Amino acid sequence: MKALYKIALLACVSAVATSCFDKSRPNYQYFPNMYEPVPYETYSEVPTFANGKEGQLPAEGSIPRGFTPYEYENSTEGYELAKANSVSPLDSAEVDLPRAEQLFTIYCAVCHGDKGDGKGNLVKREKFLGVPNYKDRQITEGSVFHVVTYGLNSMGSHANQLSQEERWQVAHYVMKLRSEL
Amino acid sequence: MSSHYEAPIRKPLVIGDKNFHDVTVDVAAPVEGRANKQWWIVFSIALAAFLWGVGCVAYTVGTGIGTWGSNKTVGWAWDITNFVWWVGIGHAGTLISAVLLLFRQKWRMAINRSAEAMTIFSVIQAAMFPVFHMGRPWLAYWVMPVPNQFGSLWVNFNSPLLWDVFAISTYLSVSLVFWWTGLLPDFAMLRDRAVTPFTKRVYSIVSFGWSGRAKDWQRFEEVSLVLAGLATPLVLSVHTIVSFDFATSVIPGWHTTILPPYFVAGAIFSGFAMVNTLLIIMRKVSNLEAYITIQHIELMNIIIMITGSIVGTAYITELFIAWYSGVEYEQYAFLNRATGPYWWSYLLMMTCNVVSPQVMWSKKIRTSIMASFIISIVVNIGMWFERFVIIVTSLHRDYLPSSWTMFQPTFVDAGFFIGTIGFFFVLFLLYSRSFPVIAQAEVKSIMKTSSEKYKKLRDQEGHNNHSHSDNH
Repeated sequence: MKALYKIALLACVSAVATSCFDKSRPNYQYFPNMYEPVPYETYSEVPTFANGKEGQLPAEGSIPRGFTPYEYENSTEGYELAKANSVSPLDSAEVDLPRAEQLFTIYCAVCHGDKGDGKGNLVKREKFLGVPNYKDRQITEGSVFHVVTYGLNSMGSHANQLSQEERWQVAHYVMKLRSEL
Repeated sequence: MSSHYEAPIRKPLVIGDKNFHDVTVDVAAPVEGRANKQWWIVFSIALAAFLWGVGCVAYTVGTGIGTWGSNKTVGWAWDITNFVWWVGIGHAGTLISAVLLLFRQKWRMAINRSAEAMTIFSVIQAAMFPVFHMGRPWLAYWVMPVPNQFGSLWVNFNSPLLWDVFAISTYLSVSLVFWWTGLLPDFAMLRDRAVTPFTKRVYSIVSFGWSGRAKDWQRFEEVSLVLAGLATPLVLSVHTIVSFDFATSVIPGWHTTILPPYFVAGAIFSGFAMVNTLLIIMRKVSNLEAYITIQHIELMNIIIMITGSIVGTAYITELFIAWYSGVEYEQYAFLNRATGPYWWSYLLMMTCNVVSPQVMWSKKIRTSIMASFIISIVVNIGMWFERFVIIVTSLHRDYLPSSWTMFQPTFVDAGFFIGTIGFFFVLFLLYSRSFPVIAQAEVKSIMKTSSEKYKKLRDQEGHNNHSHSDNH
């Protein structure tokens, strides 16, 4: 009987000790000395800036080290010029098709399809339609780079997801897919 | 009784015409009586000092260690000085109750209770410094090797500061058990004499139903002896470990192998001085002069003299080795102690610790209560400065002259120290009015061998035996 009381007491104590924990909110902390950052963390909310965001836009026209500005503008003329004149800065040794395939699979294949035939998953499920087959379009690696950078019609810009070098890799891979269709 | 032989050279340890009942009455009197005005005055002063200390500690913990005078070079100053000082003071209690028990020193019986109490109260004071000198005392539990959710992150067992944790906590708990075990028969005596239901109840609880049967006494003696045997290596190791805080470092002036025995000797030295200070007052205010006699004070003075001489020898050894080592840092450390900006503290330490115990060679001085009292206080001042000198003078000037600096305590440093003194006396004053301050059960065990009354009776009987041997 005494043991039963002890077990009941233990159960009560543990119930009391854990009952204050609410799963819908962060748990209680014991002396959170260095839990909250003193400096601004990336993506954090910052009251000192006007829009409250930590990520502020750089000054227009500034060029970070290791970055080359893309000189074709986002317009039909720009597209035509890029298609005609823009060439990949990567030489044959720098083109890394296995990595380009991975990038393509991640960022492009969901619409364009693994083969570039316009039969991606979203198209198959008819989430939206009108994705062209690469072989139906007259494209160059310069125009692919231009479109990935700025987007075209329904396609959005992928400059956020892919660096310049990665976009050139993808352009090379697209041209390879097109040659196989 | 006539079969008992005791050398006639031994002076009585209980003087006056005392029988067993008188011992009981004398020991119980302070507990059963009411506190007088002086007690309340002293208690209020101690309480005020304690509360001031609490305020200073709260301010330190709330604001930060920067409220102290410690700096980047002198990271340890008054905090650790006071810690080592209080731990050192605590050692005499265990020495008296354990080592003197192993050596069968009967004179310890009148003083061991209060000495043990002093141990416990001063270890409590000492234990506060390691906690509150931490930058984040609320994480102090991390020093314990407890399984945890940081992948069971453990403590490093290589640090003497961790050994301090084990040493001090073990020391406090063993001392407490040893003390309380000895208190059982005396609490039982108070329980049996209690007249109010409240005191009856209180002393019934704390005496754990002691009934004083033969088997109980037999085991009581065994436990006391075993605990004394355990407490003796403990008391030596505790202050050794405290000395390792310094001795295992690489700081010139700290890194010496002499520190462990020298610290222990210093601890006994300062601890006995504190016992003397307290008991000289206690025997007077609690009317215990028949039990804490001038002989007790003299014997404690002799121990102070011996350990003071050991400490003096250690000082000379350190100085010799510093010269003999040929290490310029070591030589400079001692030159700096003697002639640097803290020369006055070194001089004070040398005067108090080396000169003052040597006057005990004079019987006139060591049997003078007033002289003993003054010297016992001087010794504790000197031993405080010993720790201060070792810690601060070694730190404030070491390898790199660019990091040489000075140390200036703040009022918070002082307030914390004053607070621990206040807290100590709060505890000790409460103790002296609620605990049997003399182990009456033990004193009764030496009454027939060592009290003045029975010595006289025995002498008479002895003479009678020679003339009328047919009396038996």
